[in-house]
Amino acid sequence: MTVPTDQHNELKKDVTFSIFRFNPQVDSKPYFDDYTIPVERGITVLRALNYIKEHIDASISFRAFCQAGICGSCAMRINGLSQLACTAQVWEVLANSREEALIRIEPLRNLPLIKDLIVDMDPLVDKMKRYSNWVDSTMPEASMGKKEFLISEGEFLRYDKATDCILCASCVSECTILRANKAYVSPAVLLKSYRMNVDSRDAIHGQRLAELVKDNGVWDCTHCYRCQESCVKTIPIMDAIHGIREDAIELRGLKDTSGAKHAEAFMSDIEKKGKLIEATLPIRTNGVFWTVQNLLPMAVKMIMKRRTPPPPPLVKSAKGIKIFRGLFREMTEHVKQDHKSHKK
Amino acid sequence: MKRYAYYLSCINESMTKEVDRSIDLWQKDLGIELVKLHEGTCCGGSNLDYVSPKHFALVNARNIALAEKLGLDLIVSCNTCLMTIRSAKKKLDESPELKKEVNDLLKKEGLEYRGTSEVRHLLWVLIDDVGLDTIRQKVKVPLKNYRIAPFYGCHILRPSTVLGHDNPRDPSSLDQLIEALGGQTLPYNHKNRCCGFHTLLVAEQESLNVAAEALNEAMDLKADFIVTPCPLCHTSLDGYQEKALKHAGVARSIPVFHISEMVGLALGYNAKQLGIKRHIVS
Repeated sequence: MTVPTDQHNELKKDVTFSIFRFNPQVDSKPYFDDYTIPVERGITVLRALNYIKEHIDASISFRAFCQAGICGSCAMRINGLSQLACTAQVWEVLANSREEALIRIEPLRNLPLIKDLIVDMDPLVDKMKRYSNWVDSTMPEASMGKKEFLISEGEFLRYDKATDCILCASCVSECTILRANKAYVSPAVLLKSYRMNVDSRDAIHGQRLAELVKDNGVWDCTHCYRCQESCVKTIPIMDAIHGIREDAIELRGLKDTSGAKHAEAFMSDIEKKGKLIEATLPIRTNGVFWTVQNLLPMAVKMIMKRRTPPPPPLVKSAKGIKIFRGLFREMTEHVKQDHKSHKK
Repeated sequence: MKRYAYYLSCINESMTKEVDRSIDLWQKDLGIELVKLHEGTCCGGSNLDYVSPKHFALVNARNIALAEKLGLDLIVSCNTCLMTIRSAKKKLDESPELKKEVNDLLKKEGLEYRGTSEVRHLLWVLIDDVGLDTIRQKVKVPLKNYRIAPFYGCHILRPSTVLGHDNPRDPSSLDQLIEALGGQTLPYNHKNRCCGFHTLLVAEQESLNVAAEALNEAMDLKADFIVTPCPLCHTSLDGYQEKALKHAGVARSIPVFHISEMVGLALGYNAKQLGIKRHIVS
């Protein structure tokens, strides 16, 4: 619950910053230090941190540079949400705070901690290398600098928003799957990969895509939208992730990986019955062996509770399925035509 | 009696039948009537949109058009169906070309997507239309001895550009419902986190870790049960609970209820009537 806004009409007040501290060279475990300072309306969290460092405790470590939301250095968790300290207004943070006049500052999640609010960005950089997050030019090196490499406005619009990414790693910090598996590609790298893959000047689209569909790649995203919701540049990151998946299905087919097979089941079931045939979904996604090995004990319990989905013949089709199926198939023809004209 | 069109989610017709069964018990008690759309089809479950964006638009334009034909808002009781159908609506409303292409097909079935019906979660209807005061008055068995962990799930909150009912950073509608039913809502950090459902078949270990974290926090808070507005979250947190906690080396368990069951209990229906005995964890 938030504190009523009329309490935030003051021009100046004392605010306590509870800051995460940990120096692995001397501390056995992390702790919080509280600093209460007078803050004027209009001051950012970064300016408050600078004040604390300059006037109260010079030992606090954090990264910052441009102070204008451009360089992406000062991302940290402010009252639990990963964001840039230089664009976070103290008054706005307090308006959404559970506790009055208290702001908790912690380092980003899902990256190794170096000291206090500084995390190690190397694992992210390593992933950018693994997934070739750059344009590998189709232009021969000898021609470079001699002629322009033009792209259409339409093409640019496909990755315009994605180029806004400043690699602040807020999305990395908020990612559900990365929290559970540090080897996961991460939303920032998926966004960069999408941006490079839709660029017609790039020569390694297929190679990058082949890496993206492997384990720990694009199919492991769980669609929680936390990355998109926390993006400091409001980039629709899930559109990029879905864009890679759409591309993978179009170029590599629907049987390529368990993720693609799982997605394909929705398309075919809707056409057949208008309903998802859940009973065979695990088998169609991962095969019989995986299903028996992984789901049999649970299936027994579900049978005892009469909770198992009905076998395919007993799944009732949606009413009026025949007419619907006709429309669905007509749309399939539209899509085929679109692909043909797209290729031309 | 306020009428709504009711979208039949695939999972509620197979694994979580107790959701629709419990809503059927109490809908009239709260002055609402849900007209089931038997012609509706699977929304594509947050997958069809990238397999084929045009089929995704067609299928969900049709789902909404069925409600529009009745002149009613479309009510959904699965978070992912809600997010998916609302995403399609946003795309259709923003693209006259897509809307025309889809409507040219739909007219063969005597349907038209106009964009006049809202797509809303059952939880939102309870809060905004039925109202917390009415709910409080109708409660027969207040949940006063229960400590309840509200698990909202992702797709009733995010993306906020598509959902927009609750603050995704600090949602409150489910907490308000719990309090109106007389229960004690707990400060549950996982309230707006993910259950891991959508990767259970493609990245199972990660999904189990995600579910175990949510379950553990609720048990640390000494919650009597978790409640969720989404049958997919329920499947992850109830159906996969034993596996998730075993994987995490935890020997505890916690029941997980649907909002429809929690409302039913407070309105005086018993666990058997509401289908609570169908849960894997009791």
